[in-house]
Amino acid sequence: MKYIFNWVLTHPKFIIILLLLTTVLAISQMRHLHIETDVDAMLPKHSDAYLNKQILEDRFGSSDLVIIGIINEKDGIYNKQTLTIVQELTDWLGEQALFRTLALNDLLSLATIKDIRGSEAGLDVALFMDGVPETQEQIDYMKKRMHEFGIYEDVIVSADGTGTIFAVRPRPDSRDKYADIYKLVKDKVAELKARDSNNTFFISGRPVIEGVFGMYMPQEMKRMQPMIMMLLVLLLYASFRTPRGVFLPLLGVLMAEIWTLGTMAALGINIYTITTMLPILIMAIGIADAVHFLSRERLLAHVESFEHKKERLIEVMHELWKPMVMTSVTTGVGFLSMLSSDLPPIREFGVFAAVGIIYALLITMLLFPAALMLLAEKDSHNQRKPLFSNYVAWSSQFILNYPKRIMAFFAILIVVSVSGIMKLTVDASMVEQFKPDDPLRHADTVLNQHFSGTTSLDVMIDTGKENGLLDPIFLQHLIDLQVEIEKDAMVGDTSSIAEFLAMMNQALHADDPAFHVVPESSDLAAQYLLLYSFSGAPDDFETFMTGDYRQAHVRINMKTDGTEAVASLLASLKEKTDIWFPESEGYKVDWAGTGFTLHSLAEMIIEGQIASLIISILSIFLLCWWMFKRLIVATIAMIPVSLAVTVNYGTMGNFGIPLDIATALTGAMALGIGVDFAIHYLHRYHEESLANHSYAESVSNTNRSVGHAILFNTIVVVGGFLVLLSAALYPQMKLGALIAATMIVCYLATCYLFPVLLGLGKEKIKV
Amino acid sequence: MNIKQLCLLITLLLLPISAYSIEPAGLEIMQRVDARDDGDDLIQYMTQRLIDRRGNVRDRKMISFSKDYGKDIKSISYFLVPANIRDTALLTWDYDGIEKDDDQWLYLPALKKVRRISSSDRGDYFMGTDFTFEDIKQTPELEDYNWILTGSERLDGFDVWVVEAEPKTDALKKNLGYSKTRYYVRKDIYMYIKVDFWDRKGQELKHLISTGIKEIDGIWTATGGVMRNVQTGHRTELMFSEHQYNTKLPDRVFSERMLKRGYRAK
Repeated sequence: MKYIFNWVLTHPKFIIILLLLTTVLAISQMRHLHIETDVDAMLPKHSDAYLNKQILEDRFGSSDLVIIGIINEKDGIYNKQTLTIVQELTDWLGEQALFRTLALNDLLSLATIKDIRGSEAGLDVALFMDGVPETQEQIDYMKKRMHEFGIYEDVIVSADGTGTIFAVRPRPDSRDKYADIYKLVKDKVAELKARDSNNTFFISGRPVIEGVFGMYMPQEMKRMQPMIMMLLVLLLYASFRTPRGVFLPLLGVLMAEIWTLGTMAALGINIYTITTMLPILIMAIGIADAVHFLSRERLLAHVESFEHKKERLIEVMHELWKPMVMTSVTTGVGFLSMLSSDLPPIREFGVFAAVGIIYALLITMLLFPAALMLLAEKDSHNQRKPLFSNYVAWSSQFILNYPKRIMAFFAILIVVSVSGIMKLTVDASMVEQFKPDDPLRHADTVLNQHFSGTTSLDVMIDTGKENGLLDPIFLQHLIDLQVEIEKDAMVGDTSSIAEFLAMMNQALHADDPAFHVVPESSDLAAQYLLLYSFSGAPDDFETFMTGDYRQAHVRINMKTDGTEAVASLLASLKEKTDIWFPESEGYKVDWAGTGFTLHSLAEMIIEGQIASLIISILSIFLLCWWMFKRLIVATIAMIPVSLAVTVNYGTMGNFGIPLDIATALTGAMALGIGVDFAIHYLHRYHEESLANHSYAESVSNTNRSVGHAILFNTIVVVGGFLVLLSAALYPQMKLGALIAATMIVCYLATCYLFPVLLGLGKEKIKV
Repeated sequence: MNIKQLCLLITLLLLPISAYSIEPAGLEIMQRVDARDDGDDLIQYMTQRLIDRRGNVRDRKMISFSKDYGKDIKSISYFLVPANIRDTALLTWDYDGIEKDDDQWLYLPALKKVRRISSSDRGDYFMGTDFTFEDIKQTPELEDYNWILTGSERLDGFDVWVVEAEPKTDALKKNLGYSKTRYYVRKDIYMYIKVDFWDRKGQELKHLISTGIKEIDGIWTATGGVMRNVQTGHRTELMFSEHQYNTKLPDRVFSERMLKRGYRAK
């Protein structure tokens, strides 16, 4: 090792140039980075939710629609002015190249939906609104029919007549343009709003939510990265009071971030919401390496005297390489445990966090010595006393004097946290990632209040045979299923082909409501559909059934995308669907849609979370055992991290923060960062013990050196993560707050609880 | 400029005009298409094959009877396949011109009732096929379009005129669902063998190709047709067989009574 260190120190220029060239190479790759906001892409390709979604899109078309609502609180929408706007917006949407508007269900609005009316002679299929109505009479008739027809009430027009909705399907190839679609619609709506201020417009729907997400993510990272950097500069200056103490760590972590992102770009790895947290995480861990290196270097410059700078640097490298490799390995293994999750975003986060950690280690061990070799030694620097020296001295005294108080504090913390964990919930909602005052979330809330709901949930039922869905018993069970689903308070509306067939049955029996039932025979149903095909378009029902009348689709509109609502609905329906659509008779029931995707995501988060935490704790424990060679020490090493994880999830439970794909990561992140503290501390304590220092001396020496570095590290990381509190999206805020809190716990547990525990028993534990 | 050059110039100037004077105008071609002999009455079997973009196939078979009444046409069709719509029958009185809406009645055997079908827009799709009510007519209403002969070419080994049609008004374009259509008319028999359609946004929409053109009882007949919608990926194949022209069908064939009675194979 010494040989390598020597070589590094004798070739500083070469090392620096090599590092810079690698960085340039990484930057050149970064333009290939691709941001992925599609929640379905977060699911593993073999999962039910992912496969069903593909089947749904293939058979019945995508249920991801852009939703625009017009609300006129003053006059309602049944007036000529508002209906003119409805017609104009419908026509405009039909003309936009970014939308697929071929069939009725591609563009649903008051101006496209069709009424099925009975007459003495036959069946009339006609637009509710064929052009803007001229007279009040026509408007009144339309209003009356909308209510009598029922199927579109609350779905397209609110029951109280104050609002109406447009639901339009983006072209299948426009996934990357969701943000553009949102802007396009927003601009058009602003133009319409300017013309008549009585109408208020609201835009939501999954493509819009994903589009805005995709827009916010890079924006937010670009906004916060400089803030974090500024904060780092301040904190580093406060810590080291030298320009090199500020810029070397900064350069180091920046390099590590760039290398990691460059590697991801070169390998074609997608950036997900949570991946945007990766640079900050790498910064937090990378800065730890930097701080330990510089602190040790300063301390040696201060206390012990080495004749030459080179010898001092060799000593620093020699002292630190073991704990640094150890911390990097344990942290890396902690993150690699995320591979036990099925979810690609979590897996990739784990892998590239580990990659980033290795890069940070490499850069620290190369950049710092090389740079310090090149920079001239300044005596004045050596005179500067590190900040917080007095506090550190005080803390050592406190530990030695009041071990019981410290124990009591942590005991209370554990009790509070464990009770919090009991209250922990899971939710993968997308809408709730936005703040309540965000225009998008506000729009979504308003739309869910007035209409049937903006979140899709889909049931696909395969009858197993051609024409199977025309069977009256099956159709009746579809209606039964809809009635059952609509009992749920979170469900706004459901629709299926059975409803339309019942409507036709009524229409063909002189509009007698007594005949609002499914056709009494399979042949009759087939003949109704044939009759309908003379007046309606061939694809009017393509979203409700396949052309061979084998597969049926029930569309459910939910008022929330909260995953617990879906979970309880699914659980309550399972028994019924088994009875109505038994597998033994060839039926097959599959769920899909945004609601189901998010529900599956939530389930996989929990499964993956538990597995990854267990693997992570176990492997870190084994590594520590192997490194320290003593079971008791390995056990003690696990205490601060276990505490941190407990406090992390406890805090979430206590503050009502649900586990989601972002917060689920905090456990592993807390583990990864916390274990570093423990290893650095124990390693130093071990060295002190070897030097035959007493318990009290060992504690205060360790506190003064490593404790000091850990303190700085904590301050820097906490500061960095607190910047995330200013984010526009909840996931980043929550993550910021949680990691910051966890880091503080880690610090306290390491610097206060550790020495107390090591001091237990008559024979003080030797490490 | 000498006389020779002047003559050449005049000849060159006149050339396009003279070329035009040989060729009939677009409208004239379509009038000849319209006037083509297609018999006074016809009995034929028809298969409709609806194929969606995933390749799912739905077949319908029917037998149809039709008869000319001056420029009006009456027809009656009985569905034979699939079983669940067997004996369903459609009676159509197709009036020339656009002043009077066509009359259509459908007999639903499961309901045992005749139902009148509300008059449709000409651009509405017919029976879930890719043909609109306008498309299934022998020729479109000629006076609703501006017809322009854009040239001649060879298509599938035949000399054809290429005639483009644009609906005369925006209202017509909306009603028909087309902004432009293009007919490829065989010069030898005045029959179009291919039609291209553009939707209201001006996007390529559909292509119709007539197949199996042959002379039956002295009348040129297309025994098949494929309409392919390039936007939805859906297509409809029509197959006609067992043609019997000019069998002197009696008028009572086209009545509500016959609609209910159903088709009985002899």
